[in-house]
Amino acid sequence: MELYEVELMVNDGAVSDRVRAETTLLDFLRENNFTEVKRGCSKGDCGACTVIIDGRPVPSCMTIALQCRGKKIYTVKSLGSWDKLHPLQQAFVDHEALQCGFCTPGMLMTAKALLSDQPHPSREEIREAISGNLCRCTGYQKIVDAIEAVGKGGKK
Amino acid sequence: MKDFKYIRPKNLDELLAIKNEQQEEARLLAGGTNLLVYIKEGSLKRATLVDIGSLAALKGIREKDGYLEIGAAETITDIMASPLVSEKLPFLRESLQGFANPLIRNISTVAGNIAEGSPIADTAPLLLVLNSEVVVASIAGRRNIPIDDFFISLGKTEIKAEEVIITIRISIPEKGKGKFVKLGLRKGTSCSVVSVAVWLIANGRGVEDIRIALGGVAPLPLRAVKTEAFFKSKILDENNIGELALKVTNEVTPITDVRSGAAYRSEVSAALLLKAVRECLGMEE
Repeated sequence: MELYEVELMVNDGAVSDRVRAETTLLDFLRENNFTEVKRGCSKGDCGACTVIIDGRPVPSCMTIALQCRGKKIYTVKSLGSWDKLHPLQQAFVDHEALQCGFCTPGMLMTAKALLSDQPHPSREEIREAISGNLCRCTGYQKIVDAIEAVGKGGKK
Repeated sequence: MKDFKYIRPKNLDELLAIKNEQQEEARLLAGGTNLLVYIKEGSLKRATLVDIGSLAALKGIREKDGYLEIGAAETITDIMASPLVSEKLPFLRESLQGFANPLIRNISTVAGNIAEGSPIADTAPLLLVLNSEVVVASIAGRRNIPIDDFFISLGKTEIKAEEVIITIRISIPEKGKGKFVKLGLRKGTSCSVVSVAVWLIANGRGVEDIRIALGGVAPLPLRAVKTEAFFKSKILDENNIGELALKVTNEVTPITDVRSGAAYRSEVSAALLLKAVRECLGMEE
C-alpha cells in the first residue's frame, strides 16, 4: 500500500499528512482534528460533511484528499468563534434553525457559499441551494428563515 | 485488501500514455462521485486513480461548427453557469437543474455520468435527443462516437480500455424546443425512476420532427424511435396527444428494482412523455 505526502490549505493554514490514494478529504480533515466536519452518509447523499473548496460547497466524503492540493478549503470553523459568531451562525441561533446540530456545519457552509455568490437569495433559491443538505430534525423552514434573514441583511 | 495508486497527469499526452499502459486498471477521477462509491462499497479494490479534475486539456466550453463542445472535466455547475450554454442551448442548462443536488453538481461531469453506461444517467436522454457525439482519444488518435452508438449494454459503452473521453459535442438545434422531466423518489439527490427528454420541432401543433429518449426503462438509455414515428406528421390536440404518448409503453422494457416496479415505470414513461410534449407545445407550465 502506497502512501502519499500531501499538504492542504485548510482555513488558511497548511496541514500536512501522509494519505492513501483513496483517502477522502473528510477522513483527512477528521484525522487532522477538523472534527467540526461531520460524517453522515459517507456517499454524497446527505451534505453533513460539506466544506467550501475554491468558493464552492462540496461533500468532502466524495472528494479525494490528493485532489485538493493547491486548493483552498474552508470548514465551518472558518466562519466565526464563540465570542464572535458569523451572522449566519447568529441567525441559526436566533431562528432556532437547529436541533441536534449534526447537519448544521454543512448547512452553514452551503449557506455561506450561496450568500457569497448571491447576497440576497429568494426563499426558492435558498431551498434549491440547500437541497443537498439533509436535516432530519428541525425541518427546513427555520433554516430557510435564518438564511433569508441574513440575505435581507439587518446584520452582516 | 485495497490497493490504490494515485497519479495526476500533467497533460493529455501523459494521460493517454497512462491509459494505454494500464488499460482498465487506470480509473479516471474527475468528480469521483461514481468511483468513490465503488471504492467504499468494495466493488473496486485496486486501481490507479488518474486525477483528471484539473487537466486543462479537458476543460473549456466552446462553440464549433454548430456544436457546443464541452470539455470532459467541466463540472455540471460550470456547464449550467456558462453564458454560451445559456445562449445557445438553454434546454441543457434547464435540464441539468434536476441533476443530483447542487453539491454533487459542483464536482460531477457529463462525461463521468455517461461513461459507466448506466441506464439512469440523467444526461443520457439529453444527449440522445440532441445528435451528440462523444469524442474519445487514445495514443492512436481521436474518434467521434455518435451518441446513438455509444451505449452497448448495461454498464458497457463503446469506449475502449485505452481510450478516454475528452469532449462531449452537442449539436445546437436550429429550431425546436426541448423538455426534460424526471421522476425520482424525492426531488434532490435522487436517482431517476424514469426520465424523459423530448426535442420537438412543431409548426403550431403539427409535428415536423420529434426526438424522444428515456432513462430507467431499458438496459440502456433508450431512444424511442417507434414512438417518434407515431408522433411524426400528426397535428397534436388535447385528445390524441395522450394516446400517442401511451405508445411508448410498448417500446420500454422496464425492470422492477428497489426504486419502483416495472408496471409503474411503464405508466410513468407515458405520463412523463405526455407532460414533456405538452410543455414543449406550451400547453402546460
